[in-house]
Amino acid sequence: MLLGVTQEQHPERCRLFAQWKQFGWPILHDPINVLGASAVPIVMAIDEHGIVRSTRPASDTFEADFLNQAFPDDATHTPPSPTPKHPPAFDDLKDNASSGNSAPAWRQYGDALALWGGEDRLSEAIAAYRNATTCDAADGPAWFRLGVCLRRRSELSFKESDDFRRAVESWGTALELDPNQYIWRRRIQQYGPRLDKPYPFYDWVPEAEEAIRLRGETPVSLPVRPDGAEIAGPLRVFAAQKERPTNPDPDGKVLRDAGSVISQVVLVPATVRAGQSVRVHLNFRLTAATSDHWNNEAEPLRLWVNPPDGYAVSEQLLAAELPKAAVSSEERTVGFEIKVPSDATGIVRIPAYALYHLCEDRQGLCRFVRLDVNIEFEVR
Amino acid sequence: MHHLFLVLIVMIVGALSGFRANADQPKTGERHPDFTLPRISDGQAMSLSDLRGKKVLLIQFASW
Repeated sequence: MLLGVTQEQHPERCRLFAQWKQFGWPILHDPINVLGASAVPIVMAIDEHGIVRSTRPASDTFEADFLNQAFPDDATHTPPSPTPKHPPAFDDLKDNASSGNSAPAWRQYGDALALWGGEDRLSEAIAAYRNATTCDAADGPAWFRLGVCLRRRSELSFKESDDFRRAVESWGTALELDPNQYIWRRRIQQYGPRLDKPYPFYDWVPEAEEAIRLRGETPVSLPVRPDGAEIAGPLRVFAAQKERPTNPDPDGKVLRDAGSVISQVVLVPATVRAGQSVRVHLNFRLTAATSDHWNNEAEPLRLWVNPPDGYAVSEQLLAAELPKAAVSSEERTVGFEIKVPSDATGIVRIPAYALYHLCEDRQGLCRFVRLDVNIEFEVR
Repeated sequence: MHHLFLVLIVMIVGALSGFRANADQPKTGERHPDFTLPRISDGQAMSLSDLRGKKVLLIQFASW
């Protein structure tokens, strides 16, 4: 009997992979790395008594040494279960965490919420993991799981604006505590710069979807499609742009946005070091107070980046995707990479601005505006 | 045919395995700790102990 456990953030992506490869065996989801794997793949042959008989089964002896053997029930040791009991006793776990106020107790409560609480209790999981890290700032698993939950909430309608940035920071803290944890490292690299990528993470998705359609099936739907950093391949040399594009508004003549759109900058990794590259994720969203929407019957949102001398960027003029609908209100994201000079120190400011078209909901007045963006970080 | 399929899986995963052994994972001779996690297919809980009485090839992986 085959049993899989996937260590990635988005279970539907693994479902798509399993559909593509036609895996017929059950696959379980461990987004918070509660099983404690520090790298994958891990393959274990477990006998009928639940005893591990091989941690690296060999293909040439697998049948003879494992499948065709009858094993005694002679376990030397049974480690405790790393996962919360199911169904989880949320109230008991919460009481235990509140009265004991220890990192392991808060982490256990957080695990139950993260695995079984659903989206409705995701914010409680975040609070539990925060309490764990307050009790013990060196609790690496709590920091990692906090990041996982923050990232998950950043994709939902009730997200807080800083969720993705805090997720990246939490993962960074976890990895500093245990640099040998490759599952944690991969979570950062998934969203990070190409110089730090071991491979493209999700570039297989279009191929998988096409192959599945050719079989006459409908591919598993992906609520959050991978793009940008998640499909970019690794590079060994920073790929700065070859041709310098034209600054679309060099004299700053385009009218400034009066508060309809706000931007958010997230850097991956969160700690920027001299000589390394960093991926900048820029997000633009319409504010709750505005009645404006994006006008998609004009040019797409563009971002102009003006790096200081010595700093290279992968692209200086970027464009966000333009939906097919004439109007929309979704968040827009662009991403690019910056190569930091090896002698850089202190606070760095990268001037940038976005240009976009908005229309008012009521009177339909449309305008073309500019939003100056503050990309600032400290090089350590 | 079933056994051949399992052997092929072991070969494929073994070929992909470029990492050192996970030091904190269960060791040969130990009973693998039971765990309960949601299935990706339907979100329902499934435990390793549900498969007690069968031989299991447990594969921890990721689609990337």
